[in-house]
Amino acid sequence: MSPLSSGSQEEFVPASQTELSRFMTENAAVDHRQLFPVGGRTSLAVCCPASQTGIQLCTSQLNRVVDYPIRDLTITVEAGMRIDELIKIVSAEGQRLPLDVPQSNRATIGGVIATNINGPKRFSYGTIRDYVIGISAIDGMGNLFKSGGRVVKNVAGYDLGKMLVGSLGTLAVISQVSLNLRPKPQSMSMVWFQFDSCQTIDQALEAVVTSGTRPIAVEYCNAKAASQIAAEARLELPADHHTLCVCYEGPENEVRWQTDKIASEWNQFSPLHVQTVENEEATRLYDAFTEYQTSSDDPVTIKAILLPSQMMKFIETATQLNIAVQAHAADGIVFGHLPDSASSLDDVQQIFNQLKTTIDPKTGYLNIYQCESDWSDSLPLFCSPPAGWDLMKQFKNALDPEHLLNSQRFNELVEI
Amino acid sequence: MVDDTSQTINLSAPVLEKLEAGSRPFSLLIQKLTGIVGKTGILYNADELLVYECDGYIVDKSAPDIVVFPTTTEQVSATVKICNEFNVPFLARGAGTSLSGGCLPIGGGVMIVLTRMKQILELNLRDRYAIVEPGMVNLHLTNALKGTGYHYAPDPSSQGSCTIGGNIATNSGGPHTLKYGVTTNHVLGLEAVLPDGTIIELGGPTAEVPGYDLHGVYVGNEGTFGICTKAIVRLTRDPEAHRTMLAVFQTIGDATRAISEIIAEGIIPSALEMMDHGIIQAVEEAFHFGFPLDAGAVLLIEVDGLEVAMDAEVSKILELCNKNNVREIQRADTPEERMLIWKSRKQAFGAIGRLSPSYCTQDGVVPRTRLPEILEFIEQTSAKYGLRIVNVFHAGDGNVHPILLFDERDQGQIQLVLEASEEILEKCLELGGSVTGEHGIGVEKINFMSRIFNETDLATMEKVRNIFNPRQICSRDKVLPPHGSGNATKVTQTHPARRAPH
Ligand SMILES: Cc1cc2nc3c(=O)[nH]c(=O)nc-3n(C[C@H](O)[C@H](O)[C@H](O)COP(=O)(O)OP(=O)(O)OC[C@H]3O[C@@H](n4cnc5c(N)ncnc54)[C@H](O)[C@@H]3O)c2cc1C
Repeated sequence: MSPLSSGSQEEFVPASQTELSRFMTENAAVDHRQLFPVGGRTSLAVCCPASQTGIQLCTSQLNRVVDYPIRDLTITVEAGMRIDELIKIVSAEGQRLPLDVPQSNRATIGGVIATNINGPKRFSYGTIRDYVIGISAIDGMGNLFKSGGRVVKNVAGYDLGKMLVGSLGTLAVISQVSLNLRPKPQSMSMVWFQFDSCQTIDQALEAVVTSGTRPIAVEYCNAKAASQIAAEARLELPADHHTLCVCYEGPENEVRWQTDKIASEWNQFSPLHVQTVENEEATRLYDAFTEYQTSSDDPVTIKAILLPSQMMKFIETATQLNIAVQAHAADGIVFGHLPDSASSLDDVQQIFNQLKTTIDPKTGYLNIYQCESDWSDSLPLFCSPPAGWDLMKQFKNALDPEHLLNSQRFNELVEI
Repeated sequence: MVDDTSQTINLSAPVLEKLEAGSRPFSLLIQKLTGIVGKTGILYNADELLVYECDGYIVDKSAPDIVVFPTTTEQVSATVKICNEFNVPFLARGAGTSLSGGCLPIGGGVMIVLTRMKQILELNLRDRYAIVEPGMVNLHLTNALKGTGYHYAPDPSSQGSCTIGGNIATNSGGPHTLKYGVTTNHVLGLEAVLPDGTIIELGGPTAEVPGYDLHGVYVGNEGTFGICTKAIVRLTRDPEAHRTMLAVFQTIGDATRAISEIIAEGIIPSALEMMDHGIIQAVEEAFHFGFPLDAGAVLLIEVDGLEVAMDAEVSKILELCNKNNVREIQRADTPEERMLIWKSRKQAFGAIGRLSPSYCTQDGVVPRTRLPEILEFIEQTSAKYGLRIVNVFHAGDGNVHPILLFDERDQGQIQLVLEASEEILEKCLELGGSVTGEHGIGVEKINFMSRIFNETDLATMEKVRNIFNPRQICSRDKVLPPHGSGNATKVTQTHPARRAPH
């Protein structure tokens, strides 16, 4: 999607962090233009609606490796580094950042932090918040600040990195980051299960809690999504029913033991189909799951954050509404691509209202994840204010007192 | 619910420097606080307050004027509001095991002790979280989970007494952080009473919440962002199997290389604890485990996971240790043997007690591969100051804990201990590390802050602190150096801690 077509936007491409800081200091003092940090432009539909006018701060040239002490399993890079580039560098040393990033050829590490992008592996490896050990960023007034450091364990000072995770470019422009890395596993396999109903899926998910295996990821998709994911992976997989796909990593014998074990554990739920996917096919299937949340051409993608135990109720309704649903099921994170039939803002709102009835507002959130640029002004990203919203506003005022950083969007984040 | 009888609070009034015992405001305050927590929930006689004059960091002492023991969030909130009304500073205390003076009530005031708020409010295995009150002892949560297949992963060595609230405030680590992370990786949300008495919630039981990760910012605030009154924590699956090994090396360098190679092989041990020759000698003198007295380093290596994976991991580890000149390896394959091996690690501190009347445990971090350099520096520092320094520490994280042995009765030695500590921490920074991996800045290391961070960094941290705690009425003079302190570098303490082990 290219949401930046209609607003009038200039671009500034700093060559260094200090140059960016100087530019932002001057902007705060003199020009007071609206600033939009952009990395790989993969999530702008969400963060930065088209109608806004101002200057894009493009981090594409802040893409250097600052320090990579290989044996310490940490790396410090500038924020504009593309994820694929990062993967290439650490992969050569048998290491990885265990995080799933869609469109990783474009996405940057700064953008990943700002949007808190993650995927299937979050079940076992957590999210980017768990890997940032140090951060530098420039606030709305141009102040370049840092917190943390380059060692894996460090409690000196407040953890300002956390406030920037998911901050959508509204607090500060992330300029440099130190990350904790992990060794690459030897092998990976996935087991594709088809079940007849949401109820059975729920039972199987409940059994994961005490499974003898230790899955890396537990992905759910309904029939509509399953066929698209299988097609994307170029695999012949049955996709007429509800799918659970479980992923294991590690030494080959351990992975094989687990894929066999989960098949026997779930036998009691009478799966309609069980198929183990290995080697490159497993990688393709895994990648298809990673990409699916952003892959759609549909006008609106929603994201629900639910307790796993309450998730299937939501998914059942969503499926009835003809939404293509994928979920990081053991974490209660659900993505839904709305059908083409939702062709007006009204339709979208109606679907929303129906979905909301299945969510306990105390323990669930329904958000817009991506949407067509024309609608993004009208649809708040967070449909209800999250816990701590008042404090978040104070953070915004403290770090960006002149409201120069993507500020119109910040004001629209929640439904009033 | 929240007491809203309090009058308008004058936020611009300065926080009281001193509350005179017996003065009228003092009596009034006692009366009001008693109204909130009851007669059995308050202490204010000087002799009863002595226990609260310091925590595990005994260098500086300052007793609070009043101690209260609330049992509900509403009582905490009402107490905080009253403190604001009287302009009296206050701070939270859990079990008081802080090793950096986090519980030191600078300028006196009211201490809010949370040990009576220790209930488990919810255990939810399906959704993998627990909601607990802040005074819950860390180990009690894991004990309550026994048999469920789950545990609470952060396990500081003080876990038998420290509280979850204290862990959240200090972002505690422990021996298993290499694989399982520190407290912040396991906190999903919390409830807190802000320093103005407002009750807030951050995060929640779901895997994430939209917006800024403010519960993440809250963890590690060292008590300066108000009082945590409820914690929502992630539960972790128990490993199916463990293997524990004790590897004896000739040199620290060999042991460090073995660690790097094990990790490079793709194995993340759940624990990698190192003992240097000084501590080996002490442990041997005390317990006769049979370690060679001339060994340079002993490494405790533990892996966990599925039974099916264990043997291959162990043989790989043995191979890599051999490659790096290991002298001998003891293996523990049964729970009993495992207990015995951990005993040598855990009793290391007991052994130190036999070596010296007093000791001071430091807490520094270096990149893991720089361990040989920092340990060599520690040895040189030991020779330079004529002080015995031994090391037992979390090698996998590069988190060193040099233990400086001295005699508290000798004022000269005390100064030497302080200067040697300072030099060691300075060296950690020089090697690209940090002055604290898990104990916190507290009051102890506040002078280091302006050496680690520049003015803009500190100003940004201060902005964040001021969002939570604008009057600095809550746990004042902690973490951030006071304005105008510049680059105060001189050792200012007068007395080192006879600090507890970890
Ligand atoms: C023998 C020993 C071993 C140790 N081992 C380790 C270790 O392995 N790893 C490690 O990280 N630390 C270790 N420590 C340090 C210490 O135990 C931890 O810092 C622990 O988290 C402190 O918990 P506590 O309940 O004792 O908190 P306290 O000491 O009571 O308080 C610590 C700080 O937290 C604040 N605080 C406490 N409760 C709250 C609350 N509810 N809301 C807001 N603020 C609060 C206090 O104001 C203070 O600043 C060890 C200490 C000892 C004595």
